[in-house]
Amino acid sequence: MNRLPWPAIGAVGLIALLAVFAPWLGLGNPVSMDVPHRLAAPSAAHWLGQDEFGRDVLTRLVWGARVSLSVAAAAAALACIIGTALGVMGGFLRGIAELLALRSIDVLLCFPPLLLALLVVTLLGPGATTLIPVLALVYLPGFTRVAYAGVLTARSQDYVEAMRVLGAGKVRIMLRTILPNIGGPILVQFSLAIAAAVVLESGLSFLGLGVVPPAPSWGLMIGSARATMAQAPLLLLWPCLALTLTILAMNALCDGLRDAVDPHPAYRPPAARLLEALAPGLLPTPKAVLDLQHLTVEITTPSGTIRPVRDVSLQVFPGETLAIVGESGSGKSVTSLAITGLLPGAARATQGAAWLAGTDLLRLPEPALRERRGASLAMVFQDPGSSLNPVHRIGDQIAEAITAHRSLSQAAAHREAIALLKRVGIPDPARRARAYPHELSGGQRQRVMIAIAIANGPRLLIADEPTTALDVTIQAQILDLLAELKRSTGLALLFITHSLPVVAEIADRVAVMYAGEIVETGPTAEVFLTPHHPYTAALLRSAPVEDGPPPEGIPGVVPPPLALPPGCTFAPRCPRRAPECEAAHPALLQTAPGRETRCIRWNAP
Amino acid sequence: MTWLLRRLGVSLALIWVVASVVFLAIHFVPGDPAELLLSQGGSAPDAAMVAELRTQLGLAQPLHVQYAQQMWRLLHFDLGRSMQDDSPVVDEITRRLPRTLELILAAALMAVTIGIPLGTAAAMRRGTWFDRVTSSIASLALAVPIFVVGTLMVMVFAQWLRWVPAGGFVAFTKDPVQHLVLLAMPAGAIGLGLSAVMFRMTRASVLDVMLKDYVRTARAKGVRRPRILICHVVRTALMPVITVLALYLGTLLGGTVLVEFVFNWPGLSGSLVSAVNARDYPQVVGIVLVISILFVGLNFAVDIIYGLLDPRVRR
Repeated sequence: MNRLPWPAIGAVGLIALLAVFAPWLGLGNPVSMDVPHRLAAPSAAHWLGQDEFGRDVLTRLVWGARVSLSVAAAAAALACIIGTALGVMGGFLRGIAELLALRSIDVLLCFPPLLLALLVVTLLGPGATTLIPVLALVYLPGFTRVAYAGVLTARSQDYVEAMRVLGAGKVRIMLRTILPNIGGPILVQFSLAIAAAVVLESGLSFLGLGVVPPAPSWGLMIGSARATMAQAPLLLLWPCLALTLTILAMNALCDGLRDAVDPHPAYRPPAARLLEALAPGLLPTPKAVLDLQHLTVEITTPSGTIRPVRDVSLQVFPGETLAIVGESGSGKSVTSLAITGLLPGAARATQGAAWLAGTDLLRLPEPALRERRGASLAMVFQDPGSSLNPVHRIGDQIAEAITAHRSLSQAAAHREAIALLKRVGIPDPARRARAYPHELSGGQRQRVMIAIAIANGPRLLIADEPTTALDVTIQAQILDLLAELKRSTGLALLFITHSLPVVAEIADRVAVMYAGEIVETGPTAEVFLTPHHPYTAALLRSAPVEDGPPPEGIPGVVPPPLALPPGCTFAPRCPRRAPECEAAHPALLQTAPGRETRCIRWNAP
Repeated sequence: MTWLLRRLGVSLALIWVVASVVFLAIHFVPGDPAELLLSQGGSAPDAAMVAELRTQLGLAQPLHVQYAQQMWRLLHFDLGRSMQDDSPVVDEITRRLPRTLELILAAALMAVTIGIPLGTAAAMRRGTWFDRVTSSIASLALAVPIFVVGTLMVMVFAQWLRWVPAGGFVAFTKDPVQHLVLLAMPAGAIGLGLSAVMFRMTRASVLDVMLKDYVRTARAKGVRRPRILICHVVRTALMPVITVLALYLGTLLGGTVLVEFVFNWPGLSGSLVSAVNARDYPQVVGIVLVISILFVGLNFAVDIIYGLLDPRVRR
């Protein structure tokens, strides 16, 4: 639950209180006339003046709120009860009940709301008592839909299944487990319905088809003040103002409630990409294609600043594959996004440098960075299904990557796109270029993503879990393709994965990340043979090996980013933990040529 | 293609159901329509007159016969005769419907040209003063009921400034300029709220699409920002916006009642209100049916447009 919209709740509450306590506010009778003083200007006795029958305008405004709100609330409550019941029964009982509930709602939705209201008013005749069923009917479908969708999600969840297995009756399950769970969306729908019902009620009353005179209603007051608009414009303004302010407050309440109920809170707007805190004086390592030095990324969240990547340094050399391996949340993807300048809005690199061919990408302004992205620096993402635009043909999407960096005719770019499709092993490339992403298999889509990445001959290819969304045989084909491209073009590959077998297959060197830091680096074969960090060792034991011992899980969980332990971040889960591990945060230690580990007890017995 | 035919079938079935529901609603309402009609003066109706009216309205026959007759007439676009002046309901509808459609289309044009560019701009500048100001104006525009906007417009532009007449209608063929002048206020009153709806939808949708993986891919390709916006963001972001616009246009088919009333615009829904007041059943049923059929047809059109924009739907 996010923060509740208290100002809007206060405003709506105040209006509701005025309406409820109208008879006890000492306002007098809303229908008592005083014809000699018709259209009188505001005075001490009548603060807002008198209307065309000499009735006190303030009294009628407050009483009008009472009529409008009670009609709207009653209608919304009726719609809520019947609509929710229909939706819950439809979703839970399925079968014929589902069909009847949903189809009758579909038919209701065939009528524009105001038309539906007019049709019912024709049949039942105007009046405040008719208004309640009329408005209820108009807003009923919304509740049914919300309740039905909520039940469909809830009923498939484990606890509902568990209750059924335990033998709870259907009605009991509905009341005890499902209703509280769809409460949030229903509440939002309820507030929307009341606000809309106030508008519709005043509209119908304005037309003379709602509340019957002389009872006070804002719609009626506006309607009758139209006749005397020239003599008494204020008479028109007051009810307009009252109605508009009420609806404004109610809309604000609805928006606020919707945000409060929404499980995905809105992110902060994007901040500047860089802080001045970037340490000066770092120089690139010669020969390295990518030299990442002391990268730290910060994310501002409502509950504080977290650092998902801390002091990460790594180098990738030409023709080499470096794998970053780690669990979800270890910071490996964030590292790659920081290098390419594609971090989401709330995150930014605050320290370090990322040298690519002599330029620091972290300090590069966006236009210059754009020129490098897709050219010397390319990326392949995890889910090829969502990473390709569903509404463009794949040939066009490849050609777009080409024309973004080279001035080429559309036809030439398209020819090149077909050649690239052929290069990544797509059969019948000329025909496939005209396909949409949804017409390809997952493996083919990832080949398309690779074709896009190699379109401009990159020096560095960052592949962020490129095989995770694919099944094992396709995974092997994609790995072969990447290895073959690396051999034939000499590009350097930064490969991000959580899978150790994939690392073993593709990587020359490996960097193991845990909770935002590199805990071990070294040549893949050596690290796999003699891991120096207990986390690497635990990770290796957790991977299934043919003819080896059964895999072991790692006890405990990754520490939450807002509550990192003061010493070694792995200490709480470490089987080799000693008191000094929790005392100070360990630095990376060189343990052998080309090997580093962040464990002070790496060679302890 | 089969997709298209299936959608067409569903739409036709819905129209049939709507016609049946309207027919049944009239017949299951408490009280005899003929009796109700004649008792409006307050005195008890004359039995002979009730019987005559029942025969005239076809109410004396069994329900299923009436239903069959009604459906048969509907198939021939015969909606009966108005009980107010005995003129064919179809004539009244064909005369007034274009005026209502004109009002709605003018408002939609205004909403699209104001709401969509401003919504996109606000999303691109999320959190800046431009975003805050435009969003606040949209919230305000959404909170003012349409008849309040209309009434206040009459007061300001007709009563005080005397720029335009308070309302009325002149045929375009008679005086094109005056026709457009009279169109401006009612269309503007509808267009204001509709622009706010379009603005909010576009803004939310663009913000949503900008977080999509394929937009990140486009950035990773090094595509320039304006091109990303036009080719990748706006095209997909507009799909839900178009749906919402169409749905709103549908609700406007009945929802212009208030504006037509305020500005004395002789459209279809105006005659619906007078028919409701006069309990003119054939007229009410005819207009409700025509509007509902248009509403269903509009939803069908939205599905087709959606299919053209998103290749995934065409299956």
